Amino acid sequence: MRRTLSIGGALLVAVALSAGCGGGQDDAATLTIWQTYNDEEYPVFKEIVESFKVAHPDITIDVIRLPFAGAEPKIQTALTTRTEPDIARVDVSFLAKLAGKNALLDLGPYVSSEFRDEILPVALSSCYYEDTLWGLPDQTNGLCLFYNREHFRAAGLDPERPPATWDELISYGKKLTNRDEGVFGIGLSNSLWWTLPFFYTHGAQFLSDDGTRCVLNSPEGVAAFQLKVDLHQRYSIEGGAWRAGGIVHDLGFQNGRYSMILNGPWAVESLKRTGIDFGVGLIPAGPAGTATNVGGNNLVVFRNTGQPELASEFLRFVASEETQRMWASRLGQIPVNVKASDAITSKEHPYLAVFVEQMKTAIPRPQVMGYPEIENLMNPEMQAALDGTKSVEAALNSAAAEIDKLLAGD
Amino acid sequence: MVRTRAAVLRRTLLYTGLTVAAIVVLFPFFWMVVTAFKEPGQAFSQEIFPSDPTLENFRRVLTDYGFARYFVNSVVVASSAALFATFFATMAGYVFAKKEFVGKDKVFGFLLASLMIPGMMYVVPQFAIINWLGWMNSYKAMIIPHLANVFGLFLMRQYMMTIPSELLEAAKIDGAGEWQVFRTIMVPLSIPIIATLFLLTFQFHWNNFLWQLIVTNVERLYTVPVGLAMFKSAHEELYTLKMAGSCISVLPIAALFFFAQRYFIEGMTMGALKG
Repeated sequence: MRRTLSIGGALLVAVALSAGCGGGQDDAATLTIWQTYNDEEYPVFKEIVESFKVAHPDITIDVIRLPFAGAEPKIQTALTTRTEPDIARVDVSFLAKLAGKNALLDLGPYVSSEFRDEILPVALSSCYYEDTLWGLPDQTNGLCLFYNREHFRAAGLDPERPPATWDELISYGKKLTNRDEGVFGIGLSNSLWWTLPFFYTHGAQFLSDDGTRCVLNSPEGVAAFQLKVDLHQRYSIEGGAWRAGGIVHDLGFQNGRYSMILNGPWAVESLKRTGIDFGVGLIPAGPAGTATNVGGNNLVVFRNTGQPELASEFLRFVASEETQRMWASRLGQIPVNVKASDAITSKEHPYLAVFVEQMKTAIPRPQVMGYPEIENLMNPEMQAALDGTKSVEAALNSAAAEIDKLLAGD
Repeated sequence: MVRTRAAVLRRTLLYTGLTVAAIVVLFPFFWMVVTAFKEPGQAFSQEIFPSDPTLENFRRVLTDYGFARYFVNSVVVASSAALFATFFATMAGYVFAKKEFVGKDKVFGFLLASLMIPGMMYVVPQFAIINWLGWMNSYKAMIIPHLANVFGLFLMRQYMMTIPSELLEAAKIDGAGEWQVFRTIMVPLSIPIIATLFLLTFQFHWNNFLWQLIVTNVERLYTVPVGLAMFKSAHEELYTLKMAGSCISVLPIAALFFFAQRYFIEGMTMGALKG
């Protein structure tokens, strides 16, 4: 994996060098799109493409499907030989990398400020890198609290009332945990992204305002992570889902080992199919209220495209109110266009309405090129604190010091 | 043979330990196979064997999710690549083991040195050439770049050097041509290592994910690993189908291993052989 990363880096340098030469295809009537939609999304996306073609009857649009896992190296390789598509759908963390290495088209001239105002601010902010707009979101998500209503009833808790604060979560957790049967109140993943709701609800920031230092080891950050550690060590209501070889959180939720987990909107449809009676609530509030993290995917246009106008028009079309309304109601996803949010009523989409509400207090993660590397530095330190080999403060301090070095070297 | 008590005890302990280890190693495979036969909702049920085994999962991945097509692609690509790569490596191994020509050692050293470069480094230049040739989205692109196999050449050469040159000389005295010597003496005597190399290259090409993904843009050319990766990211929760897909991807390798275990194991120790 590390090897793949460093080679990816080398490839991107090559892109940066070649990107200056300009050029591109002359084929004026073809747009190629590389995307990673799943089987439910793919047919809907094709419909969107068809309706875009209604206004542009002369053009051809090639939609190519890639597995999510291999999309990054494939795009990087294509960039070195200028065989990249016009448009690609990329993860939010990959956008910064592509933008930083000068592979993308600056969308500034193509997206009006009126249109930007229509886009959910947290989703739009993931498309910026160094104050320039490099993409438009097609999908956004964040974590919420999933809970098993059956377990709630059995423990004498109100199945319509998920814990509103972390303190409440602890007292619920004590009632839900049954160690003899291997059932725990909550199961939590370790990685930084999955821990961000803890940090954000405590008001801890990720990077300093100038983006040069990691400040997760602030008193707020320490308190936030101490809570996560305490859920496992002190209150014994967390089942060790973060452990290597432990039951991962979504699996444990499915087979009734964990009564509560954090998860995103993508899990709703599949959980419904398993027949579990579950509810979704906001992330429990900490000293700074409720808050969540932001993930998702963005559409980007590559700078070597022959049709910057057409390609960016397609991006605007996908993020438009009309398309997003259709997309959200058909697939149960959070609309990236705020004007389409009213399509999500809590009557028709009880789960999704919670996510739409939660996204109002979502905090975007800072766009830095080395986000995956930051995760790599952070995760083992957090793991050490969780299993008790390091104190929370020591773990966060050494992680922050390493991340500072990484940021300085960028 | 008189067995002492201690020897019996040692044996019992050894076999117990090995049995436990085998169970630990095989359990995931066992789970994969069993889950592939379960009803979708039963993936995490307590029962070990499905009470109502079904082939529905296999039918769905093969037809609805296109694995039949991916499987054919994988078979075509892996077997033809393995076949040709083994053939070329055998011929080249013969030349480097038994022939003399100017700069032979230097050329061989140069080729060996290329083994030091991680395979990932070749991806971009190879892709650039494929693209320049206009071979994108073709079986050619998926097979041809990997036909020259230095590791295979090395393996063949080391093995062939142990075949006595006297045999070749005797054949030549009897009037055998170069091709005849190769075909009637070198190949039959090298069958174990040829089989080993075929299996290793087949396995490599069967599992190759990144290259096949990079040179193809159309689903009809995707191979099993690419299809499986696409399926995995699209359906996090469909465990029974995922396991059926995984079974299909493991099947040929497991079958090959079952019938040709000996050669796999020889392949592992062959490197230790002194040339």
